[in-house]
Order: sequence, then structure tokens, then C-alpha cells
Amino acid sequence: MARMGMVFDLKRCIGCNACVVGCKQENSLPDGVFFTRTLSEEYGVYPSVKRVYIPTLCNHCEDPPCEKVCPSGATYTRDDGIVMIDGDQCIGCSACAVACPYDARTQVTQESLEKGLYGTGELTPFEKDGYKRFTPGTMVKCDFCSQRVDAGLDPACVVTCPTDARIFGDLDDPDSKPSRLIRERGGRTPLADKNTRPKVYYVD
Amino acid sequence: MSPNQTTFSGDSFQLGYRFQNYWDFHMATAFFFGELGAGMFLVSMYFGFVPGMVLGLLCTGVGKPYFHMSHMGVPAKSWRAILRPDRSWISRGLISIVVFVPSAALVVLDVLFGWSGGGMLGKLVALVAVASSLLVMTYQGFAMSHSSAIALWNSGLMPVSSIVYALTSGAAVSLALSVFFDSTISLVLSKLVLVLVAATAVVLLSLLHSSYHGTVGARQSLELLIKGQFARNFFLLVIGAGMVLPILALWFGGASILSSLIAAVGVVAGFYTYRLLIFKAGVYEPQISFSARLGLSRG
Amino acid sequence: MSSQAQINQNSLKPGRWVKSTCKMCLHSCTNRIHVTDDGIINKIEGDPTNPSNMGKLCPKGNSAILRHYDPQRFKQPLRRTNPEKGPGIDPKWEPISWDEALDICAEEIGKSLKEDPRKILPSLEDFQKFNIWTWPYSFGNFNCFQSAGTMCGGAYHPANGYIHAAFASINDVEHCNYWINCGTGDGFSSHLHAAASSYHMANARVDRGMKVVTIEPRLSTSAAKSEEWVPIRPATDRQFALSLCHVMAEEGLCDYVFLKKDTNAPYLVGEDGRFLRNADGDIWVWDATDNQAKLWNDESIGDFALEGEYEVEGKKCKPAFQKFRDILDRCSPEEMEKITTVPAEDTRRIAREFAEAAQIGATIEIDGRTLPLRPAAFNYYRGAQGRKKGMQANHSFKMVNFMVGSIDTPGGHLGVNLDEKMIDWIRTQPGDCGQMLGEPHQLGPVPPMSYPPNEYHLLSYFPVGVNPPHLNLVVAEDPEKFGMDFEPDVMVICHSNPLWSMQGPREKWIDFMKSMRFIVVSDIIPTETTDFADIILPSHDVLESWNMTMIEPPFSEGQCLRQPATEPLHDTKSEEDIFYELSKRLGLVEAWYGVINMVFGFDQKPELMLQPDRHYTDKEFAELKGKLWNGKDLDWYIEHGHSSTKRQSRKAYRPWDGLRLNFYIEDLLNVRDNLKAAMVEKGVPFVDEWEWDDYQPLPTPDLDPIHEEPPEYDMYGFFFKDIQLNFGEGLSNPWIKDIVFRDPVHTAILMNSKTMENKGLANADIIRIESPHGGPIFGRVMGVETMHPDAIGVSNSLSRMRNENKSVNRAGGHFNVLLPYDLRNTDAVTGQPEGACRVKITRLDDWPKFLMEENESETVYEIVDHIAKGKGVH
Ligand SMILES: Nc1nc2c(c(=O)[nH]1)N[C@H]1C(S)=C(S)[C@@H](COP(=O)(O)OP(=O)(O)OC[C@H]3O[C@@H](n4cnc5c(=O)[nH]c(N)nc54)[C@H](O)[C@@H]3O)O[C@H]1N2
Ligand SMILES: Nc1nc2c(c(=O)[nH]1)N[C@H]1C(S)=C(S)[C@@H](COP(=O)(O)OP(=O)(O)OC[C@H]3O[C@@H](n4cnc5c(=O)[nH]c(N)nc54)[C@H](O)[C@@H]3O)O[C@H]1N2
Ligand code: SF4
Ligand code: SF4
Ligand code: SF4
Ligand code: SF4
Ligand code: SF4
Ligand SMILES: [Mo]
Repeated sequence: MARMGMVFDLKRCIGCNACVVGCKQENSLPDGVFFTRTLSEEYGVYPSVKRVYIPTLCNHCEDPPCEKVCPSGATYTRDDGIVMIDGDQCIGCSACAVACPYDARTQVTQESLEKGLYGTGELTPFEKDGYKRFTPGTMVKCDFCSQRVDAGLDPACVVTCPTDARIFGDLDDPDSKPSRLIRERGGRTPLADKNTRPKVYYVD
Repeated sequence: MSPNQTTFSGDSFQLGYRFQNYWDFHMATAFFFGELGAGMFLVSMYFGFVPGMVLGLLCTGVGKPYFHMSHMGVPAKSWRAILRPDRSWISRGLISIVVFVPSAALVVLDVLFGWSGGGMLGKLVALVAVASSLLVMTYQGFAMSHSSAIALWNSGLMPVSSIVYALTSGAAVSLALSVFFDSTISLVLSKLVLVLVAATAVVLLSLLHSSYHGTVGARQSLELLIKGQFARNFFLLVIGAGMVLPILALWFGGASILSSLIAAVGVVAGFYTYRLLIFKAGVYEPQISFSARLGLSRG
Repeated sequence: MSSQAQINQNSLKPGRWVKSTCKMCLHSCTNRIHVTDDGIINKIEGDPTNPSNMGKLCPKGNSAILRHYDPQRFKQPLRRTNPEKGPGIDPKWEPISWDEALDICAEEIGKSLKEDPRKILPSLEDFQKFNIWTWPYSFGNFNCFQSAGTMCGGAYHPANGYIHAAFASINDVEHCNYWINCGTGDGFSSHLHAAASSYHMANARVDRGMKVVTIEPRLSTSAAKSEEWVPIRPATDRQFALSLCHVMAEEGLCDYVFLKKDTNAPYLVGEDGRFLRNADGDIWVWDATDNQAKLWNDESIGDFALEGEYEVEGKKCKPAFQKFRDILDRCSPEEMEKITTVPAEDTRRIAREFAEAAQIGATIEIDGRTLPLRPAAFNYYRGAQGRKKGMQANHSFKMVNFMVGSIDTPGGHLGVNLDEKMIDWIRTQPGDCGQMLGEPHQLGPVPPMSYPPNEYHLLSYFPVGVNPPHLNLVVAEDPEKFGMDFEPDVMVICHSNPLWSMQGPREKWIDFMKSMRFIVVSDIIPTETTDFADIILPSHDVLESWNMTMIEPPFSEGQCLRQPATEPLHDTKSEEDIFYELSKRLGLVEAWYGVINMVFGFDQKPELMLQPDRHYTDKEFAELKGKLWNGKDLDWYIEHGHSSTKRQSRKAYRPWDGLRLNFYIEDLLNVRDNLKAAMVEKGVPFVDEWEWDDYQPLPTPDLDPIHEEPPEYDMYGFFFKDIQLNFGEGLSNPWIKDIVFRDPVHTAILMNSKTMENKGLANADIIRIESPHGGPIFGRVMGVETMHPDAIGVSNSLSRMRNENKSVNRAGGHFNVLLPYDLRNTDAVTGQPEGACRVKITRLDDWPKFLMEENESETVYEIVDHIAKGKGVH
């Protein structure tokens, strides 16, 4: 069985956040809702100073605390390792959100869906069409664009990333691009000490 | 402070500590009512003190669900929370409430009307009520302590603090009620409250201490509580009103109406503030940092 | 997958993909647009078949959908009913029909056209539509109110024209190993197809290990991704470049073969600065082998002398290279450090690393040609070259490449065309005495000098320039001084927001706009400028119109098709239709089409030439351009989307092979003298004010006036773009807002934290910023380690001003009001104005009233505070 995962190549990432907008587009995300964020970290003292751009999203943990705490069973893991939320089952208790060490989850509110991206209370056709996917009050997060994956496509953020800093593929396949990168350049997982066993790795 | 220190990033795209704001005052209030009510019920039940049992039952049976529901994104489906007791403390907690409320009600009815006639069934129901009240008191603590996400919460002391706070506040409110309804138990209750407040203080101190020695996230939370934006309320309400004031009042005032009331109000205010602040001071740790790796010092 | 109703991914919903081209910045990455069966555009992706952007889109390109559906878009022609004009004052628009609107415009424009066509002040700025851009030429008008080409390319394009006979330039990402990026976002955040460039740049950096060194006063994205960030004091890059050249010349780290064979560096220069010529006009060189002067094309020359001092035909002379060395004597790293603050040892090290990486002498075989391989190159743009002495700045940067022979060669610094006209078109032409013809006029010719001036912005006094529109203000302040015999009274604005983009004080620009009898603006959304229009002619947006273009492709060539993904949402028209309708009413169609035939190169294939008796739609223009490129008709383009291919090596590398490059730009002296003579002859009263010193055949280290401002302006101020923003334009786009205001770089005035401390400032303090030229503006300061201690940096995210567009979030005033707009700060060669300024900073206790009281759109800082506390922009 496949085990889908992602590698972020920090040498490549330029912090442009095209991924964020690409994701918002693919998933019709309301204002302030992010399935992915590219963070920046600055360190050092002038003039020896550096900035790193650090893309983040749901790590599709192998041992996902979000799933463990979910009282309704709405959070589940697909056979290919993608951690999903079933919007029909979710009750919006947000237990998962405080259980996820990565702040990868967000609740969609009725308010944000009604207010719309322009904050006017009127929805554009794009929003009217796109917001159908959401059940107000439920938890949402990155699902690795599971439907695109099913269709054999890369996730939207991966496709748009101008620097190919996001590398997606099957971690069980030792020859997949992400597997090779992790091996060759020493992949690190975020907050490894939390024992969530992320399927998202960083190489720098 | 130089801004390129890892700091609180809010929802900006800066690596840093991020505030937990999913569990807000609704949840804090629900937690508060659940624990207060269960504690009050248990203490009062021990003393056969019906007003305390009833109020406790109401807190847990009405106050808690009300605030849970107002927090819930899809309240209409909230029954679903019961589905995964195998792994979720929320499910377990919900079950414990579902068990607690009727069993506690039966206990109250038994005390009032003696329906069980002191028989096995009554004892069994009482046992169930006690057991479920203990679960109600602690499951939230367990839910929090199981969260490795928020380091402040990720401590075995969380359920302990839940239980001591539940009992302390339960006892304090029972004490306040007792001075009006059944002053014979007031003195014992006042002593109990004194002991429990002291115990709470010890637990709280241990919590702070373990946060200090905990992970970076716990340390940040601690800083928020004792130095940062929450310090005022923490010292004034959690420590001052919630601990110092009741101890002084009960120590010097005994079980008088005034001192009992002061102690109860102080303890409850302190507990409620504690619940709120423990939520607010909960932070997610920076996901992954590269500064240390490159051996550069922070500015 | 189960039923279609459950499909959540927008790109998988039932619908169709349309191949098209992005226009969220001026460049032309190609994309594919998904339209659902219900006709909703719900996804835009890069087109993977384009070798340029390779399926990638930057955040701007991704956010076109929200501009398309922006509820603020102009939905039909509008007429102002409120005569009062001012920032944010509601024009009280009244919808009118197209016919009515066009008739009004034609009548108002027509009045001026009849009286004096010079009274028409155009601002037509769509880089993807030069047919519109050049419309005013159809009535001989060279006036200009648009800021493009002045803040950025005023000196850049002419310099590229002289050196590469090209419009722009970029390092060869395919072969370069050592890339110096100076004051530009190339490859990271801006310029030349940012989405495409950053892709190829990332591959070069990570896969090939190319080293990048970024010279910037701020740790930009480029600097963040570089091996080395070299912080530099603003406006001193020329001095830095010359200090690099100093080291290379001193240590012999030069490609002498290239300099001798492929440039005019060995040509002998007399004491008057001109090449030494014989009676026939042939230029002398010195043969070091025979130790005698010979003519440039003498086959017997053994070795061209680059250095030394000679006497030929009784005249003292030196090779051009020696002249440069004489200048470099003043440019030691130690001396330049005093100006640039770049430590001399760093300069020396970088110069050596650069020269070593250039592999002087190495060759590479490409497409059957053996070419010099010089994988080290110095790249730069607006931030570095937007200077008072802009031509010299550009020239100095090119000199770094000249020294190691890395011009137009694999691995080096390559000329980039604006829009290649035909598939087999080669841009370079032979010039005088074996030199390549310098082509400074990449955007068309400059009109002949006239007095009284025919152009309100004095274009004809900058014979090498692009446009100095900021000078409109200088002239407007004192028209008599400049002998003006006309006053502009009509503005025709399309795809341009001059009230935002121009430098100089806003109140004066506003007064200037208010002084117009009539202003027509064609735009898609309300802006600072549309608030001053009398008529709005709303145009289609990029997702509902046709076009064919290719703009400054860094490493590709071809044409990219824009085609409508949906019917227009509103009662709008294409710019082509708008300007056709105006032209028809004004009797200009034939003249306009004549101009377009030339500009688009239709005259190269006469069967494609526009016929004056016909109306060409945007679709037909697209078809003609496609045919001109590769003979394919529109259907082919509709299917393929573009004809973009990697640029042919014969065009990319040494297209001038056999000619000599302009190391020494003698032409500048001719231009200067001709202009001076014409000015004297015509009795131009301001001839003595002209800063003739700016004209130099070789760059000098002389200071720009920005360094000589009163000392109380103790810091430098500059602005910057980033990849999320197209100027300030995207700032009304919810997706862009959602990312920009979360990025700390864009949320405050950036200042070095030590400087902040020294000034007694603390993070988040409110400050007032003034320059010797204008202000104040206000802002919130953020102390960072990522800024040069002498400078403040202001993102374009903090630039928007009060206007009718309620989605725009204002900050504390627009940085541009601080910038100089005077002649002293304008390059007398090219019209390039100084792009930075000196500033004085004062701490305030609170925001000024105008930001607090108005019950207007949220300010940027309110949003930022909101985000800092929790979530959500609103
Ligand atoms: N994303 C994006 N891309 C664009 C555009 C856009 O608006 N957004 N606009 C297009 C246009 S018209 C143009 S002209 C180009 C411009 O493209 P660039 O030249 O890349 O533009 P800028 O960001 O204006 O300036 C580049 C850098 O110069 C730095 N800088 C400022 N002052 C100095 C200085 O004195 N010395 C040095 N060394 N650096 C300095 C700034 O910090 C900035 O990072 O981009 C084009 N592409
Ligand atoms: N502070 C500061 N000032 C700057 C710069 C900067 O970076 N910072 N950059 C400078 C540079 S390099 C330049 S080139 C100039 C650029 O200056 P402008 O070209 O004036 O910049 P924009 O704001 O992009 O204006 C373009 C206008 O076109 C409109 N538009 C977009 N699409 C369409 C369309 O399809 N049809 C029509 N009719 N209109 C459309 C937009 O709404 C916008 O109002 O600004 C210069 N000024
Ligand atoms: S799109 Fe790619 S380069 Fe840009 S921020 Fe996202 S991961 Fe980084
Ligand atoms: S990152 Fe968070 S939401 Fe995603 S699987 Fe892991 S714990 Fe769950
Ligand atoms: S919010 Fe939804 S997904 Fe999260 S724990 Fe609750 S029911 Fe499960
Ligand atoms: S994988 Fe899909 S859902 Fe996840 S961040 Fe990328 S685009 Fe968004
Ligand atoms: S660089 Fe320009 S043309 Fe390319 S995707 Fe971005 S906005 Fe569009
Ligand atoms: Mo520009």
C-alpha cells in the first residue's frame, strides 16, 4: 500500500506563498483559513543574519493525535496514509485542533462562509460554488488534495510551487522522489519529539 | 527584545509560538461547571448535603452541556461525540456525564425520598454516581494531559489539578451553602476547604515547576502566566483570590457566614480564572527550527 | 470516486480547461484556466508545456480569479456627477451607455486634438499591449504621464540597448555558477517572469550548486536564498561595482582576449574623449606587437594594446581600457568602502571568487558553435540602477561582466528582448568601425529636441531616455521657465495608476490632475487615479479577453495567447475596441494602424498589415501576432496556448558575433554635444542647468546628490516589491491580503534594530518620516537584523492611499511622496530619477488624525494587529 508524504526542500523554497494561494484556490478556502502556510524564520545578528522559509501543512501523521482524540470518528486515516476529516461526521468539538501539535486544523465558521472573501456578505460565483464543500462549524485541514491524488495528480500546492520546493509521493516506494530526497539529504520531521510520526519531511 | 527571536507569531507567517484559541471561554466554562459540579456533588453526597448535591448536579448536568453545546461547531450532531470511547477521552467523558446525571439524580432522590430503602440497588446507583463523578472530574484533565500539542497541558498533573480543583471548589461552594442550609457541617467543610486549597496550591506549584523544567512550549506558557500578559490575573485571581484569600478568611474567620462566603467566592473565582488562563496560555511550539542547526546565535 | 456532487477539488469538477496567459504582472507566464460546466472559473494552473514557467505560477498568477470576480469591478461606463475631485471623494458615478461615454470622450479629447494635440497627456501602460501604448504616436504626441520606464527602466533599457542591443538582461541560468544579484528580485521575487525565473534559479542553485551573492541594503528574498548577503548603503552600487572592477584590473583577473577581440576597449581615445580616427573616420588602435598605431581593422595587428599612453598623428591617446583603469585608480575597495560600507576585504574576495568562477579561457560547444564559457555574471535591476546617474550606474554593472568576458556568452549576462517580433529576427546590427550598433531606444525613438518643448515632461531633452514623467510636475510648477507654450488639459489613462506610481508629493500631483479639463480612465477596478476621472471606460479583464504577447522572457521566445475563459461578466470592452472607437470618432484609425504595423512588426510581412478601413478586435490582433511569429493561425494557438520555446542559442549567445561591444560608449558624447548645440542654437534658457557631467563614456565613482543632502536627514529610505505584489495593485485582492499582511517583511517600516535602539525607538513605535523633498508619511517601525543600519525599507504593501476601492487598506501615506522629482535628481542622460531618498525620523505618540478619525477602510496596521492576536483578516 502506498504511504503518501511530502518533502519540503528548504534550499528551494523562496517563501512566495504561491502554494498558499494555490491551495486556497483549489479548496475554496474562506478568509483566514489555511491548509498550508509558509513561515519565515530569521536568526543571527546583522550582518550575519539568515532567513529560512518553512512551508507547513498537515503532516498526515502516522500516529495522529488528532485522530485519537476525535470523539465522533470523523477523523480517519485512508489506506494510503492520508489523514482525513469527514465533514458529515465532524461535530466541531475542536478536540483535534488542540491535539494537533502543528496547529494544522481550522474550524470553518458559518460567519466566514457568509461574510465572503470581500467581507461584504455577498459571495462571488467562485465562493458560491466552492463553499458547498464545507459543513459550517466543522474542522477542516489539508487532505493532500486526496481527490487529485486519486486522479493521479499532484496536490495543487505542489503543482504551482515555482521552485519545486514541495515534493510529493509515496514514502513506501524507496525510489520515489520524496523517499530519495529524505535518504540522500537527511530528512527531518517537525516536532519529532511529539511522536506523531509525520509523513512530512524537511531537507535543508 | 529583538524581533528575530522566536516569539509569539499570532496567525502571522512567522515561525514562533502560536496561541491555542480553539478552546475558548465556552470550553473553559464548560470544564469549570463540569468539575465544580461533580466535586460539589461528591463532597455534598459524602455529607448527605442535598442542596450541594442538587446544585452540583445542576452545574454538571445543565451548565456544562450548555457551554459545550455553545462551543460545538455542529451542535445538532453532538451526540456523535459518544462514538469513540475506545480512544477518545471526550467520548469517555461524555459517557461519564450521561451516566453521572441520571445516577446522581437517583442518588438525590434516594437521599430525599429513600426510594431504595438502603438496598443494594441504591448502593449500586450511589457507587455508579461516585465513579462517574470522579470520571467527570478528571476526564477533562486527562484529555488535556494527553495533548502533546500544548506542552503546558501535557502533564500528568492536569488530571490531578482537575480533581483537586473540582473538590476544592465543590467543597467551598458546599461550605457556602451549608452556612445557610445546614451549619452543622460547616466547620468540617471549612477545614476540608483549607486542606484542599493547600493541596491545590501544592498541585499548582508542581505544575508551574514542571512547566519550568518542561519543553520550550511549557516554558513559554509559564512565562505568559507569571510574567506575561496573563500574570496580573494569574496572581490576583488564581493565587490571590483563589488561594490566599480563602486561607486567610477560613484561618481567621472560621466557618462564619462571611468567611465562608469569601472563601467560596475566592475559590470559585480562582478556579474559573485558572481554567481560562490554562487555556489561553496554551501555546503550540514552533514546528521546526533551523537556526540551531546552522549554529548561528539568536539576535 | 463517487458521484460528481461530492467532488471538492476545484480542478476536478466537471468543466473544461482553457489555455491562456497570465497578466497579474506585466510578464507572460502561460496558464490553463478551469471553467466549470456552470461557467465558473474556479482554478488556474501554470501550463506545464511552457519551457519558461514549466507549469508554475507565482501567488499573483494564482489570484487572478479573485480580481475577475471582484465585486468592486467597474461594471459599465460611468460618468462623474460630483464635480468635486479629491482622494476618496465619491465621484457619484452615473452609469451611461458605451456610445454616450465614447462620444463624450471623443468630444473632449477632440477639442484638444484640434486646438493642440500636445495638450493630451496620455498614460497608457499595459506592457502586454503596445498597440494601446503607442496610440498617442498616431497624432504625433510624445507626452507621457505613466511612470513605467522611469522608476525602473529609464536608464536600464537604454544601457541594455547600448551594450546588448536588447531591452533587458539576465544572467544565463543554465550555465552560470556564480551569480551576483544586485538590487533586483530576478530569480526570486520580481522582474522577468518571476514564476519562471525562480523555477530555473532554484534548479541552478540546488541541482548545480550555483552560488548566489546578493548586494542589497536589505535581506531580500534573493539575499535570503544566497550564499552571501552583502549589505550595502543604498545608492552606492555603482561605487561597489567599480571597486570590483578595480580589483580585477589590478590583479589581472580579466578576459583580455574578449576585451581585445570582442569590444572596443582597445580603441584609442583622444583627449577630447572621442575615438581617435583617421581622415576617413576609421578608428586607431595600438598594436603592442609592432608597437605602432594601426587602424581597427588592420589584419596585421599582432596584439591589441589595452593599456598605456600613446601618441598617434600627433595626438595623445589611450586605449579605452586604459581610460577605464584611470578611473578605477580612484576606486580601490578601501576608498569605496567609505561610500558603500562594504568591507574592502569582502570586495576583494568577491572579485577574486567572481573572476575565478568565470573560468576565463574556457569554452563550450553549443549547437555546433564553440563559445566562450563564462559562468560568472553580475545581474541587477531597479533597486541598483534607479539612480540619478542611472546611465553610469548601469554601465558600471555591465563593466563587471566586461572585465571577465561574461557578456552574451554561456554562463554570462545576456541581453533579453522585449518582444521578439519574428522567429528569425536577430536584434543586433553592425555599427561604426566594427562596433555593434548601440540601440538605446528600445521603446521607440525620442522625438527631436524642440524649444518650446513639445513634451510637457521634456522627453526630447533626454535623447537617450525612455520617459521622465515625474518632470511633468517640475514643469507644471514653473511652465514659463521651460518656455511652455501649451498646457495639458486632457488625460487619457488606460491600465495605469499614476497617482499611485509617480514619485513626488501627492498634493501637487492631485492639483495637477485637478487642473485637467477632462480625464478619461480605462481600468477594471477603482484606484487612486480613477477617483479623478470624468469618464470611466471599463475594460475586460485578463480572463475574458484576447491577446498575444511575450514580454521580456528571460530565456524563452515565442508568443503566448490570452483567450477568454468566460464571456465578460460585465458591460465592458477590450482596450482594442475602446481605442478603435475613440480613434474612429477622432479620425485617427489610419494613423494608429500605421503605428501598430510598425510597432508590432506587421510591416515585416505585408500580408499581415492592418488595413485602415477595417476594425480589428483584440482577437484579430492576437491572430495576426501569432501568424507573424510562426505562421500558425489562431486555432493552432487556441489548442497549444503558446509557441514558447527555449531561446535559440544563436539569439541568446553572441548574436553580434564578429562585432565589437560598446565597452566605451562614445555615442553618449555625441548625443550630449548634439543636444547642447541644439539647445544653444534654439536659445533654450535652461541650458546651463543641464547636468552635462552625467554624460560619461565610462562610469565614474562620482557621488549622486542623494549623498549630499542636509545631515539631519540621516538615513536612507527605499521601497521594494515582492513576489506577492504587483506594485500596490494586488492589495485589494483577498488572497493576496491574506498572505501579504501575514509576512513580517510587509507589515512595518523595516529598520536595523541597533539603529532603532540608537534612535531611542522601540518596536511598533509610530514614526514620522520626512525627506528633503516631501512627506511626511507615517508608519510603525520594526527593528530587524535584516536591514543596513543606515536605511529604512518600505514594502509596497504599505503604499495604498485613500480611494474609492473599499478593499484597499491604507497605511500611513505613500513612500513615493518622499522621493525627489527634480532635475537635480534626474539623470540628464536618460531621465531616470533617483529611486531612493534621505529621510529623517521622529517618534510620535500616536497616529496622525487622518488615520484615526476617518471611518474608512481598515488600515494595514489594524489588519496586522488583528492577525497578531488571532486569525482572520477582517
Ligand atoms: N512581483 C512583482 N514582479 C514584478 C513587478 C511587481 O510589481 N511585482 N513589477 C515589474 C516591473 S514594472 C519592474 S520595473 C520589475 C522590477 O524588478 P526589481 O528590480 O526586482 O524590483 P524592486 O523590487 O523594485 O527592486 C529590487 C530590490 O532593490 C532593493 N534596493 C532598493 N534600494 C537599493 C539600493 O540602493 N541598492 C541595492 N543594491 N538594492 C536596492 C530592494 O530592496 C529590492 O529588493 O519587476 C517587474 N516584476
Ligand atoms: N512606491 C512604489 N512606486 C512605484 C513602484 C514601486 O514598486 N513602489 N514601481 C514603479 C514601477 S517600476 C512602475 S513600472 C510603475 C507602475 O505603475 P502602474 O503601471 O501605474 O502600476 P499599477 O498600479 O500596476 O497600474 C496598473 C493599473 O492597471 C489596471 N489594470 C489591471 N488589469 C487591467 C486590464 O486588463 N485593463 C485595464 N484597462 N486596466 C487594468 C490596474 O487596476 C491598475 O490600476 O510604478 C512605479 N512606482
Ligand atoms: S510555493 Fe513553493 S517556494 Fe513558494 S512558499 Fe510555497 S513551498 Fe515555498
Ligand atoms: S499534523 Fe495535526 S492534523 Fe495533521 S495528522 Fe498530524 S496531528 Fe493530525
Ligand atoms: S472537531 Fe470534528 S474532527 Fe475534530 S475531534 Fe471534533 S469531531 Fe473530530
Ligand atoms: S496538499 Fe492540497 S490541501 Fe494540502 S496544502 Fe496542498 S493544496 Fe492544500
Ligand atoms: S510572474 Fe507574472 S506572469 Fe508569471 S505567474 Fe506571476 S504574475 Fe503571472
Ligand atoms: Mo517598472
